[in-house]
Amino acid sequence: MRILVIEDEPDLLASLAQALREEGYAVDTAANGPDGLFNAEGTDYDAIVLDVMLPGMDGWDLLTRLRKTKKTPVLMLTARDQSRDRVRGLDTGADDYVVKPFDLAELLARLRALIRRSANHTTNLIEIGSVKIDTAARHVFLKDQPVELTAREYGLVEFLALHRGEVVTRTQLYEHLFDENESSMSNLLDVHVSNARKKLGADFIVTRRGHGYCIE
Amino acid sequence: MKPSKSIKWRLQIWYGLILLGVLAGFGLTAYQLTRNQQMARIDDELHRRVGMLANAMHRPPPRRPEFDFDGGGPPPGGPDHFDGPDRPDMRGDRPLPEFHLPPEDAHYFDDSDPHDFFFKIIHFNSRGPDSVKETEIARSTNYPSEPFDFFAKPIFATPRPEPANDIPPTATPPFPEQAKNAASKFSPGATMPLSTTTFDHYRQTAEMLPPGDFVEVGCSITPELHELKVTAWRLAIIGGGILLLGLAGGGWLVDRALRPVEEISSAAARISGSDLAQRINVPETESELGELATVLNSTFARLETAFDQQRQFTADAAHELRTPVTVILTQTQTTLNRERDAAGYRQALEACQRAAQRMRKLIESLLALARLEAGQESLNRQRVDLAGVVSDSVALLGPLAAERNIKISAELKSVEINGDAERLAQVATNLLANAIQYNRPDGEVRLGLKEENGLAILTVADTGPGIPAADQPRVFERFYRADQSRTGSGNSGLGLSICQAIVAAHAGTIEIKSEENVGTTFTVRLPLS
Repeated sequence: MRILVIEDEPDLLASLAQALREEGYAVDTAANGPDGLFNAEGTDYDAIVLDVMLPGMDGWDLLTRLRKTKKTPVLMLTARDQSRDRVRGLDTGADDYVVKPFDLAELLARLRALIRRSANHTTNLIEIGSVKIDTAARHVFLKDQPVELTAREYGLVEFLALHRGEVVTRTQLYEHLFDENESSMSNLLDVHVSNARKKLGADFIVTRRGHGYCIE
Repeated sequence: MKPSKSIKWRLQIWYGLILLGVLAGFGLTAYQLTRNQQMARIDDELHRRVGMLANAMHRPPPRRPEFDFDGGGPPPGGPDHFDGPDRPDMRGDRPLPEFHLPPEDAHYFDDSDPHDFFFKIIHFNSRGPDSVKETEIARSTNYPSEPFDFFAKPIFATPRPEPANDIPPTATPPFPEQAKNAASKFSPGATMPLSTTTFDHYRQTAEMLPPGDFVEVGCSITPELHELKVTAWRLAIIGGGILLLGLAGGGWLVDRALRPVEEISSAAARISGSDLAQRINVPETESELGELATVLNSTFARLETAFDQQRQFTADAAHELRTPVTVILTQTQTTLNRERDAAGYRQALEACQRAAQRMRKLIESLLALARLEAGQESLNRQRVDLAGVVSDSVALLGPLAAERNIKISAELKSVEINGDAERLAQVATNLLANAIQYNRPDGEVRLGLKEENGLAILTVADTGPGIPAADQPRVFERFYRADQSRTGSGNSGLGLSICQAIVAAHAGTIEIKSEENVGTTFTVRLPLS
């Protein structure tokens, strides 16, 4: 899962990015409106965390422009909790709304829910044959036995499971699993796929030659 | 509200008491006038009958006692006590007069009339101051029995004699020549009224027939008394009715008069309780109540403005505090999620420290502003050379300007004013810092200080991007920032508000002139003393 955080307060941006990375997300950051819009338009993020007050272009503006091309789920951060601000945010096309100061756990839960909804899932639990994935706890079970996955492996399995039945291209996987600083290492993806197969069964992830991967 | 405290009830009670007083006064007067009229009529009647009786008296010539009347002998001799024009003899006993009531007049003194007129005639013969002989000449049969008797009251010193035999008036022989109209035969002045009194249910008058006869005529006034009683009851009932009607009308009036007050007060309660944007509906602006409503409305308008400012300020302050709190919260929660190395904790703590310092600065600025605006912080005024103050600020901010390669040029003339050096330095530093911060790279700041028309005039001009005309009036508002975003520069957005508050505390003015892409000039004018 790849997330873009657009926030102008450097300390807040750094700690948010750190927290998200530790949750296993690939995180890109932007410290002002124009940079944020550029990133958001150029990449298929799974979700965007967007602050309202930004130098250069404010969050409303950015969202309005982004919605012309992308449907990426957007979680707005704002210091204003008046309902007209919330209404405005939701009307402009934000998918959720968090008021500062927020609880980190709540922000993370809302992000998970956003990503889940955008993949048309309504619960935390995905069941595929004998494999169960708990997206809230980020645990994977094989025949009810917990399976230890690295964060990157988990991200791969979760993304494919959320897009079950679809063929996901390598490019898509790169976009969603790696942030802009690490995507050049092209063989990393194969390593993660191979490790996941070892842990969950060789035919859990199917390779479609020339297209990509798929969980059926 | 307790009923005893309500204006409505007090007005009602006072109104009722006044109405009761007026009605009682009117009723008593009406009763008295009626009574007087009744009594005057009775008195006329009594007087007329006295005249009638006077005409029935036949005075024989002196010393001719052949008309002796039954029940009274000839009066004994001696000087007459009473003087009169027709006094026949000064020395001899006056003969007793004869009394003949014509039969056709007799019905004036019997019970054919509900008034039941009665009379008594007495002859007095005085033989000296201490000796008066009193002889009853006639008395009507219906003369009331004891204790009623006018002459029982001692008008003379002598004890009252035993009453003589009753003389039925009809028993007297007729005197045809006098039997016509008793009233017409009566000539005023022939008798001398002595007194008229009301005694129990009798009205009675005593008159003197010169030279020495007294006629007492009375009648029962039971019908009049009864009529007066009826009148009194009528007056009381009508008065009570009027009182009730008046009270009802008064209540209606009071209710009507006070209803707008109630409406205003309930509207005011509703407004102050919920929505200050509402207003009281003013029915008639001309009336006192309309005036009250207008006054209340303008009070509400001022309150609303004050509340709005307060709300805006609180929202802004909360907004400003939210970001550093968020930093601390997110930083600590992320850091505590798992074990970190020393560098990780250090990094987190440093971020928290920066956030906390930002909050401290904000709180200090807010407090300074609040105190200045509330006038709590009194200025430490003394003679101060503004040129020195501005030079100090330039020295303080020189390094910052040098860092951004901004040239500061100052043209300062020495101007002494009476002010708080520390606060004025704050103004100069704030303005200069803004001019450096919002300048273009390699820009310029020009400072000017001069004296003009008793005012010290400080100008701070930069070559920055300028502020759009629409935003210029807002730069002194709290938390206003030209770029509408916090840039992490540590600028709280309160600097210019604080400058304005300090200048205002010195009775001065501050204004902005700005042109986009040319620069911004702040001008501060301070009175010299």
